[in-house]
Amino acid sequence: MSVIIEDNRRAGDVGPPVDRVPSSDSPTGASTSPARQMTVVSGVSLLARLLTDQQQLTAVEEFARLHDDHHLPAQSRYYKSLIPASLPAPGQQYAFEVDLDRCSGCKACVTACHSLNGLDHNETWRDVGMLIGGTTELPVLQHVTTACHHCLEPGCMSACPVDAYEKDPVTGIVKHLDDQCFGCQYCTLACPYDVPKYHSGLGIVRKCDMCSDRLTHGEAPACVQACPHEAIAIRIVSRVQVVEDCEANTFLPAAPEPQITLPTTTYKSKKVFPRNLLPVDFHSVSAQHPHWPLIVMLVLTQLSVGAFLVGLGLERLLSAELAAAIRPLHSLNALAFGLLALGASTLHLGRPQYAWRAVIGLRHSWLSREIVVFGAFAGAAVVYAIGNWFGFESVGLGPFAHDAVGWSVGAFGLLGVFCSVMIYAFTQRAFWSFPLTATRFTLTTALLGIAATWVTLLALAVINNGPVTRLLVRRGDLICQALMIVTLTKLGFEALVFRHLLRKQTTPLKRSALLMTGPLARWTQARFACGVLGGVLMPIMLRTQIGDVEPSSVSMLLTSVVLANACLVGELLERYLFFAAVASPRMPGTIR
Amino acid sequence: MIESSLMRAFDGPLTRELLLQPGGFGLGQVPAKSQPNAVTTSVCGYCSTGCSLNLHLKDGEAISLSPNTNYPVNLGMACPKGWEALTVLDAPDRATTPLLRDASGKLKPIGWDTALKTFVARMQGIQSRHGDDSIAFISTGQMATEEMAFLGALAKFGMGMKHGDGNTRQCMATAVVAYKQSFGFDAPPYTYADFEESDTIVLVGSNLCLAHPIMWERVMRNKNKPEIIVIDPRRTETAMAATLHLPLAPKSDMDLFYGIARILIERGWIDRQFIDANTTGFRTFSEFVLPFTLDHVATATGLSAETIERFAALIHEGKRVSFWWTMGVNQSYQGVRTAQSLINLALMTGNIGKPGTGANSITGQCNAMGSRLFSNTTGLIGGHDFANADHRAKVAGILGIDEARIPHEASWSYHEILEGVLKGKIRGLWVICTNPAHSWINQRLCHDILDRVEFLVVQDMYHTTETVQRAHLVLPAAGWGEKDGTFINSERRIGVFKKVRRAPGQAISDFSIFRLIADAWGCGKMFENWDSPAAVFQILKQLTAGQPCDITGIEDYRMIEESGGIQWPLPTASQEVSDLTPSEKRLRPSAGQEQRLFEDGRFYHPDGRAKFLFEAPRPMPEPASAKYPFVLLTGRGTASQWHTQTRTSKSEVLRKLYPQRMYVEINPNDARSLGIAPNEIVSVESQRGRVTAQAFLTPGVPVGQVFVAMHESNANQLTDAVFDPYSKQPSYKSCAVRVTRLGTQR
Repeated sequence: MSVIIEDNRRAGDVGPPVDRVPSSDSPTGASTSPARQMTVVSGVSLLARLLTDQQQLTAVEEFARLHDDHHLPAQSRYYKSLIPASLPAPGQQYAFEVDLDRCSGCKACVTACHSLNGLDHNETWRDVGMLIGGTTELPVLQHVTTACHHCLEPGCMSACPVDAYEKDPVTGIVKHLDDQCFGCQYCTLACPYDVPKYHSGLGIVRKCDMCSDRLTHGEAPACVQACPHEAIAIRIVSRVQVVEDCEANTFLPAAPEPQITLPTTTYKSKKVFPRNLLPVDFHSVSAQHPHWPLIVMLVLTQLSVGAFLVGLGLERLLSAELAAAIRPLHSLNALAFGLLALGASTLHLGRPQYAWRAVIGLRHSWLSREIVVFGAFAGAAVVYAIGNWFGFESVGLGPFAHDAVGWSVGAFGLLGVFCSVMIYAFTQRAFWSFPLTATRFTLTTALLGIAATWVTLLALAVINNGPVTRLLVRRGDLICQALMIVTLTKLGFEALVFRHLLRKQTTPLKRSALLMTGPLARWTQARFACGVLGGVLMPIMLRTQIGDVEPSSVSMLLTSVVLANACLVGELLERYLFFAAVASPRMPGTIR
Repeated sequence: MIESSLMRAFDGPLTRELLLQPGGFGLGQVPAKSQPNAVTTSVCGYCSTGCSLNLHLKDGEAISLSPNTNYPVNLGMACPKGWEALTVLDAPDRATTPLLRDASGKLKPIGWDTALKTFVARMQGIQSRHGDDSIAFISTGQMATEEMAFLGALAKFGMGMKHGDGNTRQCMATAVVAYKQSFGFDAPPYTYADFEESDTIVLVGSNLCLAHPIMWERVMRNKNKPEIIVIDPRRTETAMAATLHLPLAPKSDMDLFYGIARILIERGWIDRQFIDANTTGFRTFSEFVLPFTLDHVATATGLSAETIERFAALIHEGKRVSFWWTMGVNQSYQGVRTAQSLINLALMTGNIGKPGTGANSITGQCNAMGSRLFSNTTGLIGGHDFANADHRAKVAGILGIDEARIPHEASWSYHEILEGVLKGKIRGLWVICTNPAHSWINQRLCHDILDRVEFLVVQDMYHTTETVQRAHLVLPAAGWGEKDGTFINSERRIGVFKKVRRAPGQAISDFSIFRLIADAWGCGKMFENWDSPAAVFQILKQLTAGQPCDITGIEDYRMIEESGGIQWPLPTASQEVSDLTPSEKRLRPSAGQEQRLFEDGRFYHPDGRAKFLFEAPRPMPEPASAKYPFVLLTGRGTASQWHTQTRTSKSEVLRKLYPQRMYVEINPNDARSLGIAPNEIVSVESQRGRVTAQAFLTPGVPVGQVFVAMHESNANQLTDAVFDPYSKQPSYKSCAVRVTRLGTQR
């Protein structure tokens, strides 16, 4: 590789063009340059001239570099041995290989990836964390560079509702299709390694693609070319071997368990790591991003589903006449919250105009399924509400279709809540495990369903519906009791997480408990206060009022308003903590 | 390519955001949105490694950069600071106009004319009342050689100042004095290839992995499977990579090296021939080390006798042993003698002047070496001596100035200048491109001193530095990338850097500021030939004629660039370059690419011999006590941080790579006995100040010691202002502190 530095205006060889603004800072060397003499005799003030000169960029004129039109870039001489010479055979794929004995923690890989891939000012696709352990006599510290592991079973890809991920059949590179993404960020929750990064400016997620364009052209990925110590390489791995290694959990000490997504990165070291090797951020807990639209969406869909179900259940206890009197307002009430929830959910999308793409991932994505099922739920609920107001004939059904439509609304609703549960259970985070999440969401459904039903009944009683008023007097106590039982069960269930504080080990659930009692303590207090207020104290007050005061009395109305709002706010706060207090798995981090 | 559809978009504007395409110029694929139409190179402006960067230019302006593959220093690599070097130029807190503190105490923008008039009126006013030497300057290792030379010449010969020093006092002064005394000239003898040529590498007080990642690259490329011996109280990254780590007690290194010398002498593991032919003082030295018995050294250092003997044996067994040191040695109250205790080891084993050997000081700042030769502070410009009449005459002749304008003695050192403020002898202070309010030792005292300065002028890129906040007048400077000049790196390699960005607002290069001040001061005539960095380089060349650092053989910036940097010395008569035809020169990878000094065994003392210099170790000035039971070590936090962080904190990417809060490393055993939980916020307190920090429990710091990163703006509230008596370098790494839980604070 020869590098020729061309200077077509070298002082002494060729005089500078007459019309050129002389630059007093020009690094031409010889002090006899005619240009320089001009600056000295110039009549302009020195200050003005220097300010002008400061804005002249002359480097390229002075030293323009010309290069051979070489096939491979100059840098390839250093990375030739760090990338495969051929494509993977069937049953194989490309993978990162990190030689931990060569990773010194300089983090050049992070900045090179950032720079050579043209990422935004604060965007990084690679991270370097640190592990520490050992004894005072023989301490061990180990930096770990990490990026996408191009997993065999990528969590991001299974989770994605719009199929914005594809795993290249030949290279195994997990690539993100930026223009396909609609910014739901579910992949950021599904990846155990915190790899996909949401770019709020663009409304999409972006991630490492192993610089696949570079590899295609025989160039090494940015991190590989930039590591001063040749710690990162691209190797061909056998997929079977990856599976075996992940089953044996040989991935990396203190990293998330590899059997979830089967990461292909190999971390190699000649060192024997001590058993107490821990990430330096092991003891730090930090609240996660709360995702407000999702909080609203989850709570309100569950309210809506619960209201429908409680309404349907209540009808079993009532005369057909009374049921028919309640149904229109109640179904409208429930529907309104359901539609509000779906509206809120689109706010979560970075690019809501592509919301319709969500159906694409139905076969594998719980998010797709949730969206489709709640879509069906909303459709059925609209039909149900219209039927209840205007007669089911108006929507082309039989006059007594309310039961069938009503129960299908309930069924879609329950299925939707189940999909919601699965979205979080899929991530395999302890705080979001199936039993915990299912219990949580089911109890919210029941709790808010009861509260919403009370609101409907009270509203009907206030607008002077005699039978409903009698119903309130007769059954109000039962409803209040039900609400209290559900609330106490739910608060008790939520408080169970605090038992993990007693554990000596910092488990993920202990982290959640630490977050809830530490940085998120105020949220936790507010959550339990609202829960007790809306689900216990207000029902107790109502029970003392039922039968004694008119439904339209100020005290009854006020109590009910407080009940409904406290229950709703309490559940919103509960859901906030659900997101903020989750301990997300991650690769070893840095001092935080 | 599969066709995109509405359902499946394989391509589109978002995909094209990250499109890569061949960059040309030998670069490989680059982001299409930052496709260069020319490429030039510059050496980096952070540390002394002196890496070369390819600057990707679009219409003359740098839009991106990548490390230069063909440069003999960094071989296509850079550390995070280098990768982000352009980003920090765009910070919103760049100083864009001169600022003057008004009656209400606020810094207000003013024009350059007013700034210059104010500068001259106030400084000359002080001089007329208190004498010429009542104003002084504090300079830097971060400016171009041409700029620091201009400043030194302007201040002393033009403005009549007597005292000026640089922040290099904080990093290199010890090495300078050690070399001058031992070798007869401040001459780091090595070339980076020595990292690859050694079979035994001894690193003392040097966390190369984080402080000089690209030098560590060279160690990692060593094909000899070298023994790497790391001497550092802490288990650093470098210590982890060592084949032998000696976690000695802080400041016991002199005992260790004298003890090693004793073992080497006792066992006859010395190069008698080299000692006899090329050194003086060995006999007294060998008597001096007799009391440093194995037992004594083991007690002093806390190391086992076997480890100490193993270290000695490795030095003996090595065919090419190199000794390297950095701030762990330099920043000490006995740094000079410690550095010389290493130099002695190299001399007595003949490990100098040959590939893979040497007693090698690794410099800190990008142009500390330039400052050492040309800043005109401690030494007369060009590696000369103020006290030497011949030198003064030579310099006066070349610069065309009246010899009487050259002081007969060296400046006060940094701390003497600050003490001069306290004594009322220094009234006006001009601080250029450095941040003493953050970096100087015993910070509260330093702040008090700066606040007493009658007229404090700070010249900086940013208006937010701790020192600028205390200034009366702020002069906005262009930074690296916005001006031209040369730096000299640790291995004496001169490299060129270039103006590839437009400075914001009215900021102009330090060089131009010096020209303006010369003009406004009334001594513009004296510097009429100093009209560009390139022109000054020619003047500086002449000043080096006949000196050990002779660079008269370098034609100009072009030649430096073509050669991949040029190490001094390169005298005119050198066969290296002058016998080559221009085309041969063009194709040379480097003029004198791998120059190491003392290959002929001749040193710079008049007798041509190196000196064995030694002195009894002294106890730590402020040892741990019952009240302050921990020894505080300070040092670099991460590779993405640079000193007082005025630049590195301006890159969002770099900010992600270092801890966001102040932390203190403490051993888990100490933490347990103090009841400190991981991540707990604790108080760290010395006799001088108190800071709060997050406790980071790590066995990597020994029991009884704690570590704080120097980048934290209040870390120096704790440090104790003691200095090496010869180099006057502050001892940043030894003072006593106590650590307490915040709950148990008084």
